Amino acid sequence: MKAIDIIRNEHRALAAVLRALEATIADLRDGRRPPDFRLLAAMIDYIVRVPEEVHHPKEDGVFFPHIRAACPDAVPIIDELEHQHHRGREHVLQLAMSLIHFQAVGAAAQESFCAAAERYVAFSWTHIEMEERQLLPLLSDRLAPAAWAEIDAAFAANADPWRGTADEFERLFSRITALVPAPLGLGDRRSGLASRIT
Amino acid sequence: MSEALLEVEKLSAGYGDARVLDDVSFRLDQGGSLALLGRNGMGKTTLLTSLIGLTRRHGGRIRLAGRDLTAVPTHRRALAGLGWVPQERDIFPSLTVEENLTAIATGGAWTLDRVYDLFPRLMERRSNMGNQLSGGEQQMLAIARALMLDPKVLLLDEPMEGLAPLIVQELFRIIQRMIERDGLAVILVEQHAHQILPLTRDAMILERGRVVYSGDSRRLIDEPALLDRWLGVGAVELDDGTSA
Ligand SMILES: Nc1ncnc2c1ncn2[C@@H]1O[C@H](COP(=O)(O)OP(=O)(O)OP(=O)(O)O)[C@@H](O)[C@H]1O
Ligand SMILES: [Fe+2]
Ligand SMILES: [Fe+2]
Ligand SMILES: [Mg+2]
Repeated sequence: MKAIDIIRNEHRALAAVLRALEATIADLRDGRRPPDFRLLAAMIDYIVRVPEEVHHPKEDGVFFPHIRAACPDAVPIIDELEHQHHRGREHVLQLAMSLIHFQAVGAAAQESFCAAAERYVAFSWTHIEMEERQLLPLLSDRLAPAAWAEIDAAFAANADPWRGTADEFERLFSRITALVPAPLGLGDRRSGLASRIT
Repeated sequence: MSEALLEVEKLSAGYGDARVLDDVSFRLDQGGSLALLGRNGMGKTTLLTSLIGLTRRHGGRIRLAGRDLTAVPTHRRALAGLGWVPQERDIFPSLTVEENLTAIATGGAWTLDRVYDLFPRLMERRSNMGNQLSGGEQQMLAIARALMLDPKVLLLDEPMEGLAPLIVQELFRIIQRMIERDGLAVILVEQHAHQILPLTRDAMILERGRVVYSGDSRRLIDEPALLDRWLGVGAVELDDGTSA
């Protein structure tokens, strides 16, 4: 796969988990299901660690520097996106803390967890959409084939160290899919808890 | 040129006297992968069902691994190596997952272990009845069953249809593994063109039963105007899958 396909692929996987988290929060708020902390932890782990450890490093390290050099008019967008990458780290800490708090304190801390999760989800959507709708279309028109070739080569050369973590995150993704109740995922729809492994 | 694994030559087919496919030709090599695209009702399903012999053939030939399948009856085409995963998932509701799989095992390269490795979820569900499975699990089982027949070419008809984004992404990764790691030859009908094109080597677009594009998948990614013209999907859809 080409660099741009990999970026888009990671956006889609992230988008799918964000959607599932939104639905899970809605279920919690409506009291339709008790909290499944294994699932919440797996989802938070994914939406926090995939951007930080796999996705942003590719964007910050390879993608953005090339674009800066080749497309002066994309620089304001890149500045904003990089700024958001940095801000993401504060959100992440808050989110992890509020989940731990929720698990420890119980129902009384549910709402503050839901609110923190929603803030992070909204922040992530804004970020991904800015990249997908403003940056990537601009690039397909503007970046020269030679620049793309360099980006693809850099992605290919760095595939190995990233692949190790990517595998780990693919397993995490599968686990989330298995735990989210059907029909949004493959989990047991009645109890709302993960189906037992037989 | 090396011999094609699957070679379709001037195939015309339809229902009764009505011709749906007109003069369709393409080839698929060993380990090849083809995205079959087109708007609703353009003949994608008809092409797959014609390959397995469920429609009326008006002309043309189908060869698989050097063997002429044109006169081979439907039930024997699966054994000849065409693995079909229909648009409607039809699994046996009163058999367990494992029984669904072993009932048709051929002793070929796709063993139960290998299939479970590709679909860990099915292993977790192996003693559940077919009718206790969710839609996503049923789709996994439908694909797994086709693999147990040890196909030379796997024909997948909109496997993601009606499934939520999480499951769609999971299935994409599994299909990617089948193509890239297992080297399975695959023809995939799919509405999510932008997602499938990076995975497949070739692509073909049908418009009213005729081939209007046949070539590199890559070219369709790089020239969105082409996709837009034939499919009306120039813009990349980020949030794929029908939320249930
Ligand atoms: N069993 C049938 N009998 C008669 N006509 C049929 C039959 N099945 C399909 N057709 C017609 O053949 C044409 C092609 O249909 P087909 O199902 O192959 O399209 P498709 O590309 O798979 O569409 P979709 O994206 O909706 O699945 C359509 O005009 C359809 O009405
Ligand atoms: Fe980013
Ligand atoms: Fe991104
Ligand atoms: Mg169809």
